[in-house]
Amino acid sequence: MSDNKVKKYMKKSEIATFGIGLFGVALLTGWMPDYTATYFADFAFKGKGFDPNVMSNTISMVFLVAGIVGAVCELVIGYLVDNTRTKFGKVKPWVGFGVVPLALISMLVFVAPNTNNQTVAIVWMFVIYSLYTAFCCAVESPANCFGSLCSPNPAERSSAISIASFLRSVGQSGGMVVILVVGLIMKAAMGQQQFKNAEGQGLDLLISTAVCALGIILFTMIFFVNNKERVPFTQEKVSLKDAVKVVFTNKNLLMVSLTKLAGFGRGVYGTVSLYIAIYLLGSKDLKLGLLLPMGIGTAVGTLLVNIVLKKFSTKKTFIIFCLYGASSLSILFLVSKGIGFNKGLIIPFLILNFFCGLQHGNTNVTPNIMIADCVDEIEYKTGKRQEGLAYAGYGLFSKIASAFTKALGPWLLYTWSGYAVSTDANVAYATQTDATLDKLLMIYTIIPAVFVVFQAVPIFFYDMVGEKKEKITKELIARREANGTLKREEA
Amino acid sequence: MAKNKTEKEFNFKLYAVIVFFGVLAALIAIVYTTFTSRYTAFHPEEVAKTYVDTIVQTGDGYNAYKNSLLSKSRKYGDFIREYYMYPVIDRDVNAELDAVTDSDIPKGYNNDFYKGEKTLGDDGSLQGQLIDTMYPYYEELIAENGWDNYDLVFTSYFDKLVEERKALFGDDYMTDEIMFTALEANVRTYGEKLTGTEDEFDENTGMQISAKSEGAYEKAFGEGYRIVTEVKDENDLDLEIYLANVDEKALESYRISKDDISAVKEFVVKTSCGEKEAEVTVVAVQIGRSWYVDSAQTDTSALYSFAE
Repeated sequence: MSDNKVKKYMKKSEIATFGIGLFGVALLTGWMPDYTATYFADFAFKGKGFDPNVMSNTISMVFLVAGIVGAVCELVIGYLVDNTRTKFGKVKPWVGFGVVPLALISMLVFVAPNTNNQTVAIVWMFVIYSLYTAFCCAVESPANCFGSLCSPNPAERSSAISIASFLRSVGQSGGMVVILVVGLIMKAAMGQQQFKNAEGQGLDLLISTAVCALGIILFTMIFFVNNKERVPFTQEKVSLKDAVKVVFTNKNLLMVSLTKLAGFGRGVYGTVSLYIAIYLLGSKDLKLGLLLPMGIGTAVGTLLVNIVLKKFSTKKTFIIFCLYGASSLSILFLVSKGIGFNKGLIIPFLILNFFCGLQHGNTNVTPNIMIADCVDEIEYKTGKRQEGLAYAGYGLFSKIASAFTKALGPWLLYTWSGYAVSTDANVAYATQTDATLDKLLMIYTIIPAVFVVFQAVPIFFYDMVGEKKEKITKELIARREANGTLKREEA
Repeated sequence: MAKNKTEKEFNFKLYAVIVFFGVLAALIAIVYTTFTSRYTAFHPEEVAKTYVDTIVQTGDGYNAYKNSLLSKSRKYGDFIREYYMYPVIDRDVNAELDAVTDSDIPKGYNNDFYKGEKTLGDDGSLQGQLIDTMYPYYEELIAENGWDNYDLVFTSYFDKLVEERKALFGDDYMTDEIMFTALEANVRTYGEKLTGTEDEFDENTGMQISAKSEGAYEKAFGEGYRIVTEVKDENDLDLEIYLANVDEKALESYRISKDDISAVKEFVVKTSCGEKEAEVTVVAVQIGRSWYVDSAQTDTSALYSFAE
């Protein structure tokens, strides 16, 4: 038994290439939403004379509809993945073959039709972005699942997942580096003013998307060639109905899933971060500079959560970090209001951004531990262990929440804030009023703070902690030892 | 054994190589097609049209230069700084004299040394007053000359700005930021006089800051007017004749050599609103693959009186 426990199945290179694969997927999927929003709003139909109010409301709807498409696809793809039986496994074919249409569709999102008909423009935005979302689900969801199939050894699997998760989070910011480098190369090749003119026509976004699309192909192909699925798939049939039922019949799992829904608005800062970079730091290339302190904060936050979890239950940890998160965002808002939207704000803003990032470590780690505990509870009550369905159900709520976030963000930005779109072919971003800049700050700070508080509310009803958790864990170990499941898994 | 058979049946490496190069080719094709069809500078008729349209829609001859030879090699703003702002800011700097003079007085008026009390205490309202003071002068300058002779516009405007600022602030302090702020605010106001403005309210108090105004275009053409610009005619010009008459000194200031120019075209651009029409002949030259308007060969004066 002890030999089996330490036995490692994966080559070292496989752990690295699993991470490289997720890095590649995140490079494109992290790039797309925010830059699609700015492309649709600022460049796709510039100079066509379309009604700006109709267009800004449409963009919110495009992201809402695409989000709903994504939520449905999450379950459908999960169902299809669980029913995939190929020689290469159940996940690899989705990633290896699905990535080709995904790369090409992503590229086409940045190739708007040259039309003077507003209806055609609107229909195109709905169709192309929904298509992108569907193909994105078909690659991203299976890629994220691969960790559970890469090795039967739980310790090895966890280690691979944590390394891959780290690389995935790095990949999500990769697009910001791409646009920076593309901008520098374009400036060198075209001259500064001609680059500004091309930027005014959204052409730097086109090239950056091509780089990210090629990146996903390169990195996922490395993964596709080198990685193997090692956990044999079961023959149990999975139904869509079961996926939804599992979430709604277990109170604790439902509460963890509801945190996503209750806190959906905390992610709207992502939509406005590009504009904070433009109007506070002076260039969209500097979005990386803006989000880097937050990214470092998130990494530090992940370590902090592990320390806090040793002293407090998952429930308390989650609530503590939510309160901290709301407080740090509120402080950032108050400091920003005090200093005003000017260059003097840059340094304090970036420093406080780091502290705001700490809370994200909690949302990355704690819910995943809670779901694992819920799976134990479900097994304790029903005798069935249903990780796949539990994560699919949680994923469903995440997608719905993400749809709301992607609808609320653009609405707040393009409608509520009074954002003015540039009408000059050679000017990328128009000058904004002080009132608009103020609202951009609110979208980045105080509005997410409110939702961070909301996301803590369902956790007050979560009770898979303390004695109950301890009792269930002991009982499950006893049951497994009694029926010999542990031995069977090791064989 | 079974695993080995599977690997033989499907060559992952070959698939990966084919996919990578296949997608690379497809991406290059999409980017190339889109870039060449969208980038205005690759289409001489679009360059000519944009140049005219920018001027006629908002009277913005200032920004129209971003499509001209002047912006070929560097940022338009840097060109203005080098030829029209720094000479004003550093007008009393004498390198030869300064080298032998042991003086603590800083060279150039963009130094805190030259800030007077009013500059130090200004919360922005005096700067606003300066912009308002400059506007009638800017309007008069454009009415008389348009923007075709940028040398005259920049020189006259900045000289006047120095004079007006000194009268208002009582010091010689001057920076490129002050100059850009005043000029660009006046350019914007000029545009608003043509297009009109909407009611504006303070977001916090709800108080009206400015009232809706009717622009010159609305007065002339009615509500919901639409100015349409199109290229009516296009001709290739003789490159040798063009080069023989080109202002080499101006080209030098744009950091362009005569030899860089490979083709020259002339466009008749028509702009119309209802029955009102104006035609402008625009000359565009090709350098590399891009096209630029030669503002020296283009008369846009008709566009500044389009509403009349």
